[in-house]
Amino acid sequence: MKYYFFFYLIFMTSFVNAQTELSAMKIVEKAQDAIKVKGVQGVSILTIIDEKGRERVRKIAQVTKHYSTDKTEKRLIRFMEPADIKGTGLLTYDYENKEDDIWLFMPALRKTRRIVSSEKAKNFMGSEFTYADMIPPSVNDFTFSMLNDENVNDIDCYQIEWLPVDEDIADENGFSRRITFVGKEDYMIRKSLYFDIDNELYKELYVFSIKELDPVNHRYRAVKMEMINHQNGRRSLLENTQLEFNPNIKDDYFTLRYLERE
Amino acid sequence: MAEKIVKYRWIIIALFIIVTGIFTSQIPSVEIDTDLKSQLPKEMPSRLSTDKIDSLFGGTEMIMVILQSEDVLNSETLVRLRRLSKRIKRIRGVEKVNSLFDLKSIRGEEGALIIEPAVPKIPKNDMTREQLRKNIQENDIVYGSVVAKDFSLAAVIAMLTPQTRDEEVLNAIRQVIEEIPGNEKTWIGGLPVTRVEMGEYIRHDMRLLLPIGISVMLVFLFACFRQLRGVILPFMVVIVSILVSIGFIAMIGWKIHMVTVILPILLIAVANDYGIHMIAKYQEDNIPSNNFNPGQLAQRIFQSLSMPVLITGLTTMAGMLCLLGHILIPAKELGILAAFGILFALAASLFLLPAVISFLPRSKPVLDFSDNEQDRIPFFERLLGFFSHLVSDHPKGVLLSAAVLAVISIVGIFGVVVDTNPNGYYEHDNPTVRVSQLIDEHLGGSQTISVVYKGDIKSPELARKIDRMEEKILELDEIGTTISITRVLKQMSKALDNQQFSDKSGLPDSREGMAQYLELYSLSGDPDDLNKMVDFSYEHAILTARVNKTSTAVIRRVVDRIKDMVANDQDVFLVGGFGVVLADLADAVVNGQILSLILATIVVGVLVSLLFRSLTAGFIAAIPLTLSIIITFGLMGVFGIELNIATAMLSSIMIGVGVDYTIHFLWRYRVERNLGNDLKQAVRITLTTTGRGIIFNALSVIVGFSALFFSSFLPVQFFGFLVVISIFACLTGALVVVPAICIVTKPAFLNPAEIK
Repeated sequence: MKYYFFFYLIFMTSFVNAQTELSAMKIVEKAQDAIKVKGVQGVSILTIIDEKGRERVRKIAQVTKHYSTDKTEKRLIRFMEPADIKGTGLLTYDYENKEDDIWLFMPALRKTRRIVSSEKAKNFMGSEFTYADMIPPSVNDFTFSMLNDENVNDIDCYQIEWLPVDEDIADENGFSRRITFVGKEDYMIRKSLYFDIDNELYKELYVFSIKELDPVNHRYRAVKMEMINHQNGRRSLLENTQLEFNPNIKDDYFTLRYLERE
Repeated sequence: MAEKIVKYRWIIIALFIIVTGIFTSQIPSVEIDTDLKSQLPKEMPSRLSTDKIDSLFGGTEMIMVILQSEDVLNSETLVRLRRLSKRIKRIRGVEKVNSLFDLKSIRGEEGALIIEPAVPKIPKNDMTREQLRKNIQENDIVYGSVVAKDFSLAAVIAMLTPQTRDEEVLNAIRQVIEEIPGNEKTWIGGLPVTRVEMGEYIRHDMRLLLPIGISVMLVFLFACFRQLRGVILPFMVVIVSILVSIGFIAMIGWKIHMVTVILPILLIAVANDYGIHMIAKYQEDNIPSNNFNPGQLAQRIFQSLSMPVLITGLTTMAGMLCLLGHILIPAKELGILAAFGILFALAASLFLLPAVISFLPRSKPVLDFSDNEQDRIPFFERLLGFFSHLVSDHPKGVLLSAAVLAVISIVGIFGVVVDTNPNGYYEHDNPTVRVSQLIDEHLGGSQTISVVYKGDIKSPELARKIDRMEEKILELDEIGTTISITRVLKQMSKALDNQQFSDKSGLPDSREGMAQYLELYSLSGDPDDLNKMVDFSYEHAILTARVNKTSTAVIRRVVDRIKDMVANDQDVFLVGGFGVVLADLADAVVNGQILSLILATIVVGVLVSLLFRSLTAGFIAAIPLTLSIIITFGLMGVFGIELNIATAMLSSIMIGVGVDYTIHFLWRYRVERNLGNDLKQAVRITLTTTGRGIIFNALSVIVGFSALFFSSFLPVQFFGFLVVISIFACLTGALVVVPAICIVTKPAFLNPAEIK
């Protein structure tokens, strides 16, 4: 029964909303563009809080650079806290058309290992955020439709519904319906609702503050956001501090040699 | 009193209708509870520790879907397995799925660390298939746990979220299996499945046993009394007491358990005993030569029978209430329910029956004293005659034979095995049993014993300790597989090729190393994988061992061994898991058995002593009971019938019911002695008069309980069998051994002089 409902939704939206879908997809694409920054560095504090209120805090330094020539994003993450994982580094080359390259440096082993993982881990560092929240998924995997505009924290937002085109995509992204609230002015997502296969709300994303990094191209980053998972009772907070736009980050950062520097 | 019953008969009948109506209205809300854990007292250590494990590491319940084929690595089976795993993962109530496609392969290859599903993609040709086989064989996490070592079975294990409704998840999984058909033989198992099936069997039993018991009893009653009211009146008492006692379950918020299946049958067998006596008296008085009106007949019944009916009713209730000494909650509840039902039956027999009889027009007399009763059952006549000769001619020989029989039976008692495993509930070809055999043989075992450590889990010392314990536990023959965080860390070490900064076992040699391994896992694997092995704050870690035998005795031994091993370890927080619960259950069954046995014998002895105002009477009453207990347990040992949740309740019930025959005998015997008959004369008269009533009474119990032979549960079947045997032993004890004792020992309380 629930599957019928699911297909019914796809069916309806693809025909009835054919016109609005275009504009909905446009908005999503613009939202994806809004966070494409040439180069950014900063320190993030990730707090994972379990259902009993216990906390796990991770402090990481991050530099990201976008290489438009080969459409590759390179990223270096260095753990700062807690002490026992301090110095652990993760270097990622995110290619557009092939599997990512990932290297991990573990100070306790004093060596670097290339990591081959056939599937992207769904959860970002064991938190409730998924990589899909960080790196926008392909628009071709979804059908979009516009719902009524809504205000989120006094900001006028488009309300857009995402439906995965098939069950595999739904599995990969971990939701079978998503509603995002996109600010009309900056095209930044302010709020996101995730629904499971039974069309029940199971995760909520809230973006509390946003910083414009590149005023020329109008590129932004969320500064503070929270993901609440109703299924396991956990929530995660991500706070990006010292965010800085820097299109001229040294290429040297994104090398194994640098990764192994403690 | 007797006149009042006739005077207020309207009120009595109305009262019974109202009370029965109130209780009956509760029956639709009665629920079935098949959880084994809830049968244990809340304060029991193993129940507490298992609850604690649930709260630390999430649900431990799992449903296993198993595919069986010649080689599960053939693409057809793998495709089906993957589809099953995917679909099952989406079912609500399934927290997580473990299968070849979900569990990880962590290995090093050409200097790279590879973390991917154990089966990353389905092999297209023999070469890739054999490479995959090799990888799986080297993967400790999956080999022998979600895939059989001979590759004949592959499993999809659905871990359930706590407080999930078994039925809903199971039905959803069954539907998925139906929608994804294939050539492989498909099995579905696990405790939740066992529970759902048990619930189905309980409902089936309730629907089937009741009609069987009722029809058998109707036929029996008609054979005895050959008169419609002789069938309907005792039967009315039975039905009323069953309705009231089942309604009582809901009224006080209890639930139906496996052993509760016995309740209606027990009431069919026992609750009509009083009515039988009253109808017999009715027929005895309702003969052409007497000219009693219905009211007078009712009064005579009450006057002559109220006392013996009350006493035998009380001893039966006392026996049932001795189940309170049992540690298992359902057994306690059954004791109270049965006592309540019998109390109601007693009240109905004493007041309702005479009240109704006073309304009924006199029936055509059944007995006309033309000796037709003797024609009907010459066998019992001859048998009782034989008994009376045997007893009066060779009293000492009778006692000696009884003693010899008892000694032989004692030998058999040593062969009694305690087994509380739910698999023992069913025949060997039952699918539930087959599945757990498959799991035990090929997939690591179905019962778990867990050791929870508390401390700084990231410290290498504690990790090493856990690892050494895991190695030691793995050496036990009865352990199929183990899983722990250190197992995963060691596998990572191997894959990272970390020899420099690790100890001999492969674990990292520093706290930083431990922390970085754990971080690496949560970066690349599914962090939920670790939730089942270490808690969120890295303060508790769980080492889970799976036992590949189902026998409770074996599990008990393993639990004791493991408890011994960790006895002096300060870091061990608790030892728990379902295996420990089962082992404790076995102890509880034995202790409950012994306690309720002693309690029942003492209480019944005291009641009989009070009745005859003589301690000797109590002792004499206890002799056939003891004999019957010894013989029953001896037979259990000889036939290999296990002592389990159902059979453990045997003794109290048997003692409460079985003592009635001795009471009837002694009561009549004293009357006959008082009339001036000598020892042997009194025995002969008692046996040929009251003896017949005793046989009828015992037969009705045997016939009633024989309905349990049709139960879906082996223990309940065995219970039925054992009740039949033990009631038969009680009957023989009352008709042969007790008379012989009376002749040989000449107890003072039975002497005519003493009575005055």
